[in-house]
Amino acid sequence: MIELYHIWKQYQKPDWALKDVTLKVNQGDFCFVTGPSGSGKSTLLKIIFREIFPTHGQIVVDGRNILRISDHKIYRLRRTMGIVFQDFRLLFHKRVFDNVAVVLQVLGYPRKELRRRVFNALRMVNLNHKMWEYPAQLSYGEQQRVAIARAVVNKPNIILADEPTGNLDTELAFEIMSLFSEINKKGATVIICTHDRELIRHFGKKIVFLYKGKLLREENI
Amino acid sequence: MIAQKLKHFQMETLNNLWQFRARNVFSVTIICLSFLIVGIFVSLSNNLQYTAQQLSQDMAVVFFLDKDISPVDRDAIARELENSPLVQTTQFVSAEQAMGKFLDKFPDLQGIVENLNLNPFPSSYEITLQDKDLTYEETQLFIDRMKALKGIEDAQFNKEWVEKMQSLSRLARAVGFFLGGILILASFFIVSNVIKLNVIARKDEIEILRFVGGTNVFIRIPFLAEGIILGALGGILSLLLLFIVIKLFPVYLGSSLGILNELINFRYLTFSQSIALIFSGAVIGLFGSLSSIAKFLKS
Repeated sequence: MIELYHIWKQYQKPDWALKDVTLKVNQGDFCFVTGPSGSGKSTLLKIIFREIFPTHGQIVVDGRNILRISDHKIYRLRRTMGIVFQDFRLLFHKRVFDNVAVVLQVLGYPRKELRRRVFNALRMVNLNHKMWEYPAQLSYGEQQRVAIARAVVNKPNIILADEPTGNLDTELAFEIMSLFSEINKKGATVIICTHDRELIRHFGKKIVFLYKGKLLREENI
Repeated sequence: MIAQKLKHFQMETLNNLWQFRARNVFSVTIICLSFLIVGIFVSLSNNLQYTAQQLSQDMAVVFFLDKDISPVDRDAIARELENSPLVQTTQFVSAEQAMGKFLDKFPDLQGIVENLNLNPFPSSYEITLQDKDLTYEETQLFIDRMKALKGIEDAQFNKEWVEKMQSLSRLARAVGFFLGGILILASFFIVSNVIKLNVIARKDEIEILRFVGGTNVFIRIPFLAEGIILGALGGILSLLLLFIVIKLFPVYLGSSLGILNELINFRYLTFSQSIALIFSGAVIGLFGSLSSIAKFLKS
């Protein structure tokens, strides 16, 4: 499903953000990428959804080398992925409904179907009663759940989440991780970057340890 | 699917226009003023062109006769004119008829003419020329030949005026396009920068759209529509403003300039010129936004 071959990434000489990372994540995996700050977790995710290019190496997603996809066709890859950012990246001038609907608007969904899907996604994260509010009116945890609803609303094959529970209390973190687990059970491949060992212990099926850009070890539980 | 996307673009464009209304009003004003300058000069040029056309339709040469011309000389002149291949029509205007014509045109001056106690107008032959494509030199040669005849005191030919009018009209248009061109170029950069500010203000949204699989076209269209609307709106407003200027200008001038009023009068733009002006505004808006969003999407 997602195969990374000898990935190297250098932002600035002489430091390497990733050093020769080779990794395979299968369809339906629930994978945690963990490691201390600066170990290259976020870089790895950014490379998978091609926000950035690796300095060396190849990445194959669903049998396609994504580094060979031209810029104007990269939207096709991104439509198969749901991304949850550490800083949520919500649109604060738009309502919760519109924040989630944007994914379906891009795909040109009919209005009725769009409303149904957005409502279902928000119900899944238990925010359907707040869909006409603005993100600024929501708590931190609720904003995070809006970001998750946006990532799953078009039922993507792959979910990538960068520290989705960072700065959340344990109870909320478990709640959110349960959501990812639910989505994973419906068939999506989920890759989550986190350094929360408690969560990893509780939910992890496949764990990838990074340290200073190097893949230390992989564990399958 | 297409209908949904069109609906989305429409909503996004209107939202953007409203959200950044202050700077949008600024750019519409700049476009409007730039096009107003062009419009004023084109209108002035239209008027000069119209006057030139009026004059050229009446391409006449007037031969003024001596006060004490003998009937023999007058007949000789009439024969010469009738036999000339250049002349289409010949009309004799007596001194009385000439004064009558003058008083018809300028009734206010009746008192002055009456006080003179004599008729200052000479009798004349008014002729129209056969071929309007005759060069100025050819016509002048004919006039000089006629002037050599006994009994002709002077000749007046309005082709010179026509040519002067046409040159003036071309000059007005050139000045208009030159000044307007500079201003339009400036307004292009202003629109481009206003859109760029709008793009920067919506940087996060664009980034999110890209991450959720939005194509460049999908991201671009609302900005391009915004540019086109701003440009076209600027063009339409400049036409309205031009209309007001044209209506108010004669009021401002009053009748102090007399006959010159007719020459510097503004004639409104033709339908095709108005459409061209709005279209140019839209094109400027389109390219202004295209250049700013293209740079942004590339980066």
